[in-house]
Amino acid sequence: MALAFDEYGRPFIILREQDQKSRLRGIDAQKSNISAAKAVARILRTSLGPKGMDKMLQSPDGEITITNDGATILEQMDVDNQIGKLMVELSRSQDYEIGDGTTGVVVMAGALLEQAERLLERGIHPIRIAEGFEMASKIAVEHLESVSNKFEFSASNIEPLVQTCMTTLSSKIVNRCKRDLAEIAVKAVMAVADLDRKDVNLDLIKVEGKVGGKLEDTELIYGILVDKDMSHPQMPKQIVDANIAILTCPFEPPKPKTKHKVDIDTVEKFQTLRQQEQKYFDDMVQKCKDVGATLVICQWGFDDEANHLLMHRNLPAVRWVGGVELELIAIATGGRIVPRFQELTPEKLGKAGLVREKSFGTTKDRMLYIEHCANSKAVTIFIRGGNKMMIEETKRSIHDALCVARNLIRNNSIVYGGGSAEISCSLAVEAAADKYPGVEQYAIRAFADALDSVPMALAENSGLQPIETLSAVKSQQTKDKYSWYGVDCNDVGTNDMREQNVFETLIGKQQQLLLATQVVKMILKIDDVISPSEY
Amino acid sequence: MSTMMQPQIILLKEGTDTSQGKAQLVSNINACGAVADVVRTTLGPRGMDKLIHDDKGNTTISNDGATIMKLLDIVHPAAKILVDIAKSQDSEVGDGTTTVVLLAGEFLKEAKPFIEDGVHPQNLIRSYRTASYLAIEKIKELAVSIEGKSLDEKRSLLAKCAATTLSSKLIGGEKEFFASMVVDSVLAIGNDDRLNMIGIKKVPGGTMRDSFLVNGVAFKKTFSYAGFEQQPKKFENPEILLLNIELELKSEKENAEIRLSDPLQYQSIVDAEWNIIYDKLDKCVKSGAKIVLSRLAIGDLGTQYFADRDIFCAGRVAEEDLQRVAAATGGTVQTSVNNVIDEVLGTCEIFEEKQVGNERFNIFSGCPSGQTATIVLRGGADQFIEEAERSLHDAIMIVRRAMKNSTVVAGGGAIDMEISRYLRQHSRTIAGKSQLFINSYAKALEVIPRQLCDNAGFDATDVLNNLRQKHALTSGEGALYGVDINTGGIADSYANFVWEPAVVKINAINAATEAACLILSVDETVKNPKSESAQGEAAAGAMGRGRGGGRGRGMRRR
Repeated sequence: MALAFDEYGRPFIILREQDQKSRLRGIDAQKSNISAAKAVARILRTSLGPKGMDKMLQSPDGEITITNDGATILEQMDVDNQIGKLMVELSRSQDYEIGDGTTGVVVMAGALLEQAERLLERGIHPIRIAEGFEMASKIAVEHLESVSNKFEFSASNIEPLVQTCMTTLSSKIVNRCKRDLAEIAVKAVMAVADLDRKDVNLDLIKVEGKVGGKLEDTELIYGILVDKDMSHPQMPKQIVDANIAILTCPFEPPKPKTKHKVDIDTVEKFQTLRQQEQKYFDDMVQKCKDVGATLVICQWGFDDEANHLLMHRNLPAVRWVGGVELELIAIATGGRIVPRFQELTPEKLGKAGLVREKSFGTTKDRMLYIEHCANSKAVTIFIRGGNKMMIEETKRSIHDALCVARNLIRNNSIVYGGGSAEISCSLAVEAAADKYPGVEQYAIRAFADALDSVPMALAENSGLQPIETLSAVKSQQTKDKYSWYGVDCNDVGTNDMREQNVFETLIGKQQQLLLATQVVKMILKIDDVISPSEY
Repeated sequence: MSTMMQPQIILLKEGTDTSQGKAQLVSNINACGAVADVVRTTLGPRGMDKLIHDDKGNTTISNDGATIMKLLDIVHPAAKILVDIAKSQDSEVGDGTTTVVLLAGEFLKEAKPFIEDGVHPQNLIRSYRTASYLAIEKIKELAVSIEGKSLDEKRSLLAKCAATTLSSKLIGGEKEFFASMVVDSVLAIGNDDRLNMIGIKKVPGGTMRDSFLVNGVAFKKTFSYAGFEQQPKKFENPEILLLNIELELKSEKENAEIRLSDPLQYQSIVDAEWNIIYDKLDKCVKSGAKIVLSRLAIGDLGTQYFADRDIFCAGRVAEEDLQRVAAATGGTVQTSVNNVIDEVLGTCEIFEEKQVGNERFNIFSGCPSGQTATIVLRGGADQFIEEAERSLHDAIMIVRRAMKNSTVVAGGGAIDMEISRYLRQHSRTIAGKSQLFINSYAKALEVIPRQLCDNAGFDATDVLNNLRQKHALTSGEGALYGVDINTGGIADSYANFVWEPAVVKINAINAATEAACLILSVDETVKNPKSESAQGEAAAGAMGRGRGGGRGRGMRRR
């Protein structure tokens, strides 16, 4: 790229390596950016809704992911284009904040850009388009607020939450047992939620998966599941009313951190050293026994001598348990993590009603269940499934459902799904557009058109006639003034989303609109792209 | 015959590139014009952004003149001066970086025909200097002081200034929201010069409306060991202990070695080590603090020890965060746990660990000394937040400047038009060449309103004619009229609260004039060839440089 030429026509060297840089400016820059973003949105469009399709992605090292989750697809696609990357981040931030609706937000942004392109061709200034979109998104968000419903729920009445989670899960591959999974997700969230502060720490929900069995075997465990077994095969497989000592110190003689050396010059000294070592083991086991522990969970390993001794003294033990799991066990059982044998006291022991080792199928794999804990503030969702890809996808689906449940605890407003919210917003925005003087009016109307693209995509993916369906629903909404008519994706026979129990969270929907508008504004505002030419 | 031949005098090293005279001056001006053209479109509320890749693959989307100039990586010696003035404007007042580049470019452009006609550059320089002096005097005269107003009034005035800066940025749609946030945070730290007391934390996710201001400190949850989740996560009026030591079981001295001759003593060594760490932890607990923060690691032992005693702890807190906590809570960072007295403990009203986006944040709010503020920025994409941070930085600088100098002028090109009119009028009273030069200086100032119109897609000539007419009214009532960005007409900028601190304009005119004069006074460039050793490392950098000399070396950096 050359910026200027002197009187002999030679370019000035103004930028470093300017020969190798390329520059795109003005309307060309905007057009190329928009088409890049649209390409990304087009990929995701078919994944929207209950009848949306999955994508199969193969990573460079041959690992295969099959998913329907927008954020995951974009993440794995490894988009190189800068504007494409913005779309990836867009869906990622929806994932971070809301956890669900990651496909919808990208589809929405793509539709907005498509509309913007048309307006640009008419010669409307990009910033004014962006400002019009911003106004429209404000109208839409306010409208959503006004059509939203409050969902009352309590610890005993979780049905509304389950219904909403089912809507999320219905678009996933696991939708054949969405009811069970939704219940599991809601119960898990309710178990760890702090309802007064409206805070849910999802770290306290452990999601574990194991290949084998069927999806229906997925279960919620009020306690912790550890992929470990007892250190000695002859130890008891089941302990009732266990007192658990949770240790972060190994069963071996303590080692000072400072460099040290023991000078042994006589046989007697060697004997004492050996005796001492043995005494250490003996003391440690005795210590655990003394405080009344019936199970030892240790972060580190212990050698065969200690193992034998534990077996001999009838003290079951589990070794090599990871730090995070150890912490969850401590929280669940109400115990304290003990860093040193001298600190063991009966109060620091965790209590669990039942600890059992379970083996699966014909494999030798065993897992340790710690159940009926004193404090069920940490739970585990244990997923079973036919293959690894299935389990991974189930994990992602469960994560979405957990997020939805969490959002409802934060804010219990819901809107109706199935595209009904978008259609309702589109009508409201369309009506409001006429009130704005100036070029922005066109942009606001374009926003309304863009909103239609989500129900359109839903109808398309469900094999319905998109335009026909959309106009039917629109006229129905206008006629009855109800916002709960949507696209009947599952062919139930009614498009009343209340009857179909299709709900989405209000904050999720609002976030989608705001985020999409924000990123579209950012893309529209760029009129100059300077890049090294190999891109 | 050979005696007849004049031996060639070799003055410079071979390969040195020299060019001189008028042609050189004109070509310098052209180069500067090209650079000014790059940032031209970013000016004003309808200004566009630039997307710049660097060769490492980083991407920046920005509207900030200084940032763009920096990333362009300009090597032309004359054009580099423009980069420098943008930088200096950025560090001096923080905003108006595009304005300064544009002005300098325009001053040079106006000077070009005179140079071509054979005017001596020094004449031009002298007139430009006079003009800039007059312009600055005029700005000072026109500036409106906001001194002596009540706090509430001042707050809203400052918010107006911040809003004007933000209107040209990506977050312009929410400028009121951010302007009040910026003003609150600047007022919180008071007149203190420590800008780093305003922390800006970036959390991807959410919309920009989800950004919030913490009247205190917020930082991301640090790396934690097992046992952390068992600590309480909320306190009211806690005592806070700030440390700069490791609370870990480790060898006390690196190079020490213990020799034992009696195996029975083994246990005592082990015990001694444990006692050291237990002693430290115990002292922390005894101090009565409910929150322990350390710049260095707090190991798993410490974490569990504190969890056991219902104390919250966080290790590896970033240095600046810890400093901010210290300033906010009134505590002092300790390098030892001995003699921890009550005075060194900080306190705050509420401490809480909260979920923000995908992260968990430790938030200390309601701090007694209140000399810190933290802005937690949210947004849809990383680059979005980066740009938002730059924009907020500009706004913060503007508000601080406005607070110190407390004079504002009308924005939207109004002040530029007014000075232009004044200079034009003044020039008529001067006899001699200088009249022409000052007149062209005045014309150059009109570039700001013209560019505002161009960027917004308005008819610049039309708007400028309207403005000139308004400003020319003898009653002086039109002095505050500037471009109305919403309708494409003209409006009273002052009444519409488009305000800028006077110091921004003064600095911009000063710097731009200086740069223009500097470039005008150069009539010869001597460029030394790169020495052999330097060529090796900068082989790719030298490509294409030296006008055909080094061309064709097919080496690529990547």
